[in-house]
Amino acid sequence: MKNSKLLVFLLIMFAIMTPLFGSGQSDAEDGKVVLKMGDNLPDRTNTWGLVAEEINAAFIEAHPNVEFEVESYQDQPYQEKIKIYATAGQLPDIMKYWSFSTLLHPLVESNMVAPLDPADFEGLGWMPGALESNMVDGKLYGIPVSGDLWVMYYNKAILDECGVGVPTTMAELKAASAKISEMGYIPMVTDGKDGWPLSITFDNIFWRVTGDYSIMLDALAGKRSFTDPEFKKAAQAYQDFFKNDGNFGNDLVTTDYGAARNLFGQQQAAMYLMGSWELGLATDSNFPEEFRSNVRAAKFPVMESGKGVADDLVAWFGGNYIIKADSEHKDLAYEYLKTYAELYPKLVWEKQAGFPAQAVAASDSDTPVAKDLLGIGADATATSGTTGLDLKTPAFKEVHMKLCKDLAAGVISVDEFCESLQEAAEIANK
Amino acid sequence: MNKLNKKITPGQIGLFTFLGLFALAQLFPLVWLFNYSLHKSGNLFGKKVFELPDPPQWGNYVRAWTDGRIVQYFSNTLIVVFFSITLIMAFSFMLAYACARMKWKLRSAIYSIVLLGMVIPIHTTLLPNFMWFKQFGLIDTRIGIIIPYIAFNMAFSVLMFTGFLQSVPYAMEESAYMEGAGLGRILISIIAPMAKSGFVTVGIMAFLNCWNEFIMANTFLASEPKRTLPFAIIRFEGQYSSDYAVQFACMILVAIIPIIIYFTFSKRVIAGVTAGSVKG
Amino acid sequence: MNSVLNSKKTIFLLVFPGLAIMVFAILAPILLSLYYSLTSWSGFGAKEFIGLANYKEIITKDATFWRSLWNALLLLGVTVFIQNVLAFILASVLIQLTDRLSLILRTIYFVPAILTVVVITKLWVNIMNPNFGLLNKLLKSAGLEDLAYAWLSDPKTALGAVIFITVWHGFGWALLFYYSGLTTVPKELEEAAVVDGAGPVTRYLKVVIPYMMPVIQAVIIIDITACLKQMEIVMLTTAGGPGNTTQFVAYHLYEQAFKFSRYGYGNAISILFVIIALTITLLARKYLSGDNGNE
Repeated sequence: MKNSKLLVFLLIMFAIMTPLFGSGQSDAEDGKVVLKMGDNLPDRTNTWGLVAEEINAAFIEAHPNVEFEVESYQDQPYQEKIKIYATAGQLPDIMKYWSFSTLLHPLVESNMVAPLDPADFEGLGWMPGALESNMVDGKLYGIPVSGDLWVMYYNKAILDECGVGVPTTMAELKAASAKISEMGYIPMVTDGKDGWPLSITFDNIFWRVTGDYSIMLDALAGKRSFTDPEFKKAAQAYQDFFKNDGNFGNDLVTTDYGAARNLFGQQQAAMYLMGSWELGLATDSNFPEEFRSNVRAAKFPVMESGKGVADDLVAWFGGNYIIKADSEHKDLAYEYLKTYAELYPKLVWEKQAGFPAQAVAASDSDTPVAKDLLGIGADATATSGTTGLDLKTPAFKEVHMKLCKDLAAGVISVDEFCESLQEAAEIANK
Repeated sequence: MNKLNKKITPGQIGLFTFLGLFALAQLFPLVWLFNYSLHKSGNLFGKKVFELPDPPQWGNYVRAWTDGRIVQYFSNTLIVVFFSITLIMAFSFMLAYACARMKWKLRSAIYSIVLLGMVIPIHTTLLPNFMWFKQFGLIDTRIGIIIPYIAFNMAFSVLMFTGFLQSVPYAMEESAYMEGAGLGRILISIIAPMAKSGFVTVGIMAFLNCWNEFIMANTFLASEPKRTLPFAIIRFEGQYSSDYAVQFACMILVAIIPIIIYFTFSKRVIAGVTAGSVKG
Repeated sequence: MNSVLNSKKTIFLLVFPGLAIMVFAILAPILLSLYYSLTSWSGFGAKEFIGLANYKEIITKDATFWRSLWNALLLLGVTVFIQNVLAFILASVLIQLTDRLSLILRTIYFVPAILTVVVITKLWVNIMNPNFGLLNKLLKSAGLEDLAYAWLSDPKTALGAVIFITVWHGFGWALLFYYSGLTTVPKELEEAAVVDGAGPVTRYLKVVIPYMMPVIQAVIIIDITACLKQMEIVMLTTAGGPGNTTQFVAYHLYEQAFKFSRYGYGNAISILFVIIALTITLLARKYLSGDNGNE
């Protein structure tokens, strides 16, 4: 008897609660406008995430009726999420995204991104080429927020303790790695689980080997083959770098972004291969003071036998902010982008939390790592622009990352790598 | 075979060592996790295999509790699971009754089709449901996740209930029908109480299935206010990527809830699953 | 005999809600999936109808797909021949103990099964971490440094590690099923065997196991579906890598649709997945039972 009453009760409860299940429209209470926002900055108390919070606060001050609903994930899950939202027609109003043909272009081609008027963003000190990298068919779709340089961070204290200098060549790196391992540290870490850092490094090594990045662009455009000797040589050098030389721990391909960053920040690893956006390592309160004061950045090492030089810099304008084309609050979202472009470079540099795509006021109080990065940028005699993985289709990107992971893990050979990459490029060029 | 005698033989020592080792293999990983959730994050990198925290960092739990939004995610999970299992029990009981007790033309065909549902994994609907549920505005709604949960638990539950109904004597219903009682009344006040252990079993199995389901919930319940409990851990991975101890604390908090429920009801859970699988 | 039990309306009312939900949430999506599988759709933008090209590509070119199927079968093999056997032995031991002790142990052994898969995987990812994980620290302290691996990253051990986590997680269920099956073995049967002078081993082979066949069968059928649909653990540990060594079908289709933006192709995998799951289960039923096929 008791059970039966319970059952009836539950069914009634269900009937009552059904209306509560309504679909996920933004719930505007007492005239508030909810701006949905997505980004890859889950930590809101440090570095870039904190800057984003400050910009939001400033925006709310100017528009008191606005509320933000922010969803943040790490890079890779975030990109997947945005693809899923795009498929479901549920993109947030404002998104942090990337200018690449693999990410921005598919959304633009499906008319999901609102075009911007470049005149609204004039005079904000953009670096040359920054806005252009966010244009598709001559129209501006995003504001660039990140000037990205591919560098090698290192922990000065650990290198000193191990009695090694900052490696400038692959041979020096290999020798240093051996000593560092002996001392019980991991020589170098990076995000090997997600693949893109490996793909970027492949391009970097290729450039160091050949000294001519245009060969890479030609191969991507189908004018040359990835099975040419230069690529095999580069692939071999790449496999040596990640696998044979002992520069990385044996869990490279399962170490994700957070784990790699953490190993470096917790002083378990001596070097960290990553982009200039990690400038905030020096100010991240999650890490011990000893680490923060010893983190530095150096140029990617050169190959003794290679034709490339240390000032060939792999650099691009990746991160941007875009707004959803059919946003209910498009005007507000547009206003937000303007606020962001104005406030961001100053705030992020004050906190030394990121490397903007706009001019910054360098000062003596900058952290050593910030000075290093500015130096590396200033020294560059040539820059790559967006690297190979992000110049074709999304499917090509996935194959590129997968192949680079497999080559680094040693599950495929150099020849297999080159052939598969060529095949993927041919499919993408169809 | 009889129960063990009082004398302890070497064989028994071996036996208990074996049983103990197995229990250790099942539990020690959790103990390890709990232990390091009370450390400072950096201690994890120490050389020792196991080290007690000194002093325990209970602050990790405070941060995990508030920043992990445990309460919010937990109540979301409860709502989804609660409605799922209630409806699973109701619908599968009704269907099973029609198949076990009533005579109709399509009976065996429908019964077989329903049981076929047991073989089809929930993942096969992951992609099409996106487009399909969108038509009905069910994406990112709780109903949109409850419906597949019901559908994919039906087959198993119908099977269970059919088994239970076969052991319920027919005589009582018969006399009730003779007296002119309606079907609803008979189902609720006569059959259901007799198939009580069936409800317990189906309820528990459905609870565990829905509680543990991750991929559908993660893909379909996208917006923050509807997120379910496992998501707390995923969220934390980003937010506290540099703080293992707090991540561990969050995992313990997520794990502890079903463990408490389970230990409270362990006798019934074990008995229920046992009874159910005998029938199955 | 009486009108209520034969009334079409009553039957309809009883059957409709459950059946309708199953049609709505299982059958309809699968049909929709069939439709999408014939297109080269990326998930947004224009759809192009390409006939059976996706299927052709999967069957002739997609090594990852075959690899993922093979991995599922391997997982099934380990589940049936190692996990189930262990569970059966343990259940046979538990049933000899006092009720109280047996209940305590069964409760403990079932703990992993009630934890959500996210906790389970993150737990093992941390235990197997080569830098601070428990496993390698244990091996090192036991002087077995040579055995210290990056368990989930090394192509040699990754699949084994993933299978281990899966089997560990599911162990409680297998144990419980067998235990409950064993409680139904009639004492007379065993006693008759004892009278006939059969030792414990013969008794098991000749009496208990044949009696348990229906339970064993049911567990294996459940295992088949569970192994084929394995996804979450892979997604949260290795993401199918290194290489394709730990790829499983369900994750492969997820990846194709949401990472490679090949939604149509992912749906084609989904359809093949349904067909394979049905075929294997039906085959297994046929060969395992050989009788009425009712269950």
